[in-house]
Amino acid sequence: MKDYRAEILSDEQIAQGVYELVLRLPGEVKVRAGQFASVGVRGHLLRRPFAICKAEGERISLCFQVRGEGTRNLASMGAGESLQVLMPLGNGFFVERDEKRVALVGGGVGIFPMIAALREYAPAKEVFAYIGFRNKEAVCGLEEFERAARLKAVTDDGSYGEKKNAVQAFEEDLRAGIRPDVVLSCGPLPMLRALKEVLEREKLPGFASLEERMGCGIGACLVCVCDLTDGQHARVCKDGPVFPIGDVVL
Amino acid sequence: MADLSVNLCGVKLKNPVIAASGTFGFGREFDELYDIGRLGGVSTKGLTLEPRAGNPTPRIAEARGVILNAVGLQNPGVGHFIENDLAWLKGKGTAVIANVAGKTLEDYAGICARLDGLVDMIELNISCPNVKSGGMAFGIRPESVEEVTRAAKSALSATPLMVKLSPNAEDIRANARAAEKGGADALSLVNTFTGLAIDIERRKPILANVTGGVSGAGIRPIAVRMVYEAAHAVQIPVVGMGGITCAEDAVEFLMAGAVAVQVGTANFTDPYACPKIIEGLGGWCDAHGVKRAAELTGALRLS
Repeated sequence: MKDYRAEILSDEQIAQGVYELVLRLPGEVKVRAGQFASVGVRGHLLRRPFAICKAEGERISLCFQVRGEGTRNLASMGAGESLQVLMPLGNGFFVERDEKRVALVGGGVGIFPMIAALREYAPAKEVFAYIGFRNKEAVCGLEEFERAARLKAVTDDGSYGEKKNAVQAFEEDLRAGIRPDVVLSCGPLPMLRALKEVLEREKLPGFASLEERMGCGIGACLVCVCDLTDGQHARVCKDGPVFPIGDVVL
Repeated sequence: MADLSVNLCGVKLKNPVIAASGTFGFGREFDELYDIGRLGGVSTKGLTLEPRAGNPTPRIAEARGVILNAVGLQNPGVGHFIENDLAWLKGKGTAVIANVAGKTLEDYAGICARLDGLVDMIELNISCPNVKSGGMAFGIRPESVEEVTRAAKSALSATPLMVKLSPNAEDIRANARAAEKGGADALSLVNTFTGLAIDIERRKPILANVTGGVSGAGIRPIAVRMVYEAAHAVQIPVVGMGGITCAEDAVEFLMAGAVAVQVGTANFTDPYACPKIIEGLGGWCDAHGVKRAAELTGALRLS
């Protein structure tokens, strides 16, 4: 973990309200899929935490949805400008050596940590991806899944792919006998809740990457906590953002 | 290079920069970024006798120039701190200030008794705005400020007591004097201002707790004024805080009458804020012919 000054190589809209920031770091930084970066925004006191989507040498890409003033400010930045990025933060996904078949279940901007997972685990492992979006305007980031995974992309309104959500698409494959050894997921809470139910029923191991408003991003301030099923609390930034899905209260 | 060391009611700080409670945990996470032994002091996450779970999330929001937080004193309890973190933190070579809170006078006395002689200083949190029983009830009026200070002081024989004042007060001067009368060895201020941020699309508060404590650069002039008023109302030393982002901000608080400063929200904006402020303060003193940072305390000229 270090605070790097990164140069913006590009900052482009890749779907409605969703941007991809490509940054050049001063050197190569080792990143695990599921880890995130805390990005300084000029004129703002809080940094914004984003999953690290791609990491290639000294280049990384961070994707984010414009939600308010801070993200709007980031979306308006351009090549040549620089940003402070504290990274890599958090724990990342876990896949055991003997888990050969990995399912990725992503919803909306939850697709971005799934891209990182795809890059880490394919082609060594057989990857099945189930990615859901609200509508076709929100669709982005599917190219790599098309190349390196068996992909089912769906939308809530049927304007792209079939009309269903990512968990329904995943369940369909389960019924057809496609059973993964482990499931990695990221997306809106209702999606994660539905997935947790399915995994409990099917007795499949799974991990969820959680999102929460953060303060320090490194585990000191106890702002981004979540409840664990054993009654304890965990810090999303430091103990997560990836948790065994059965261990967290969603 | 200027001498940055200061004496805070008998506790020697290597420089006047203390990491503020609640933004810094017990120092372990920031120590992964830099040696926290460089700091003048660390004020711990607010401790209570028993562990506390804190408030539901979201616990943080941003508005222009400020943030709001409502963590709600989540902490593992003072016993856990003593067993697991205290020795490590003391070994870092920075002044260890235990920030403590409670619901009752007995709680305050009890937690002070547990920590007496174990830490360099106690910071009495009577100003947390985020829990119904986080002490702010004690921190609003001078009568109760004096009472809770006396209860804490009576449990201490070896460790100096610093009382952290709330800016949500009728009259900060009266509360400062009340803490002094109750036996405080030092004061720190300001804690956060109670605020509210609304998500207008959802017509809901951003924080699950509805209201939260406002801190950050935007509150600085109000905090400087309050530190100035408090420092001029009492004989005991004052530690100033509220929106300090850079060395120049720290100098402003010292000139207003503070002996040392605390840095909180800035740790979120820049995790290296504290060491940068220490370095900047040395540079500022050198550039201005100031040989000892302690000379800056109360250096404000009014005529």
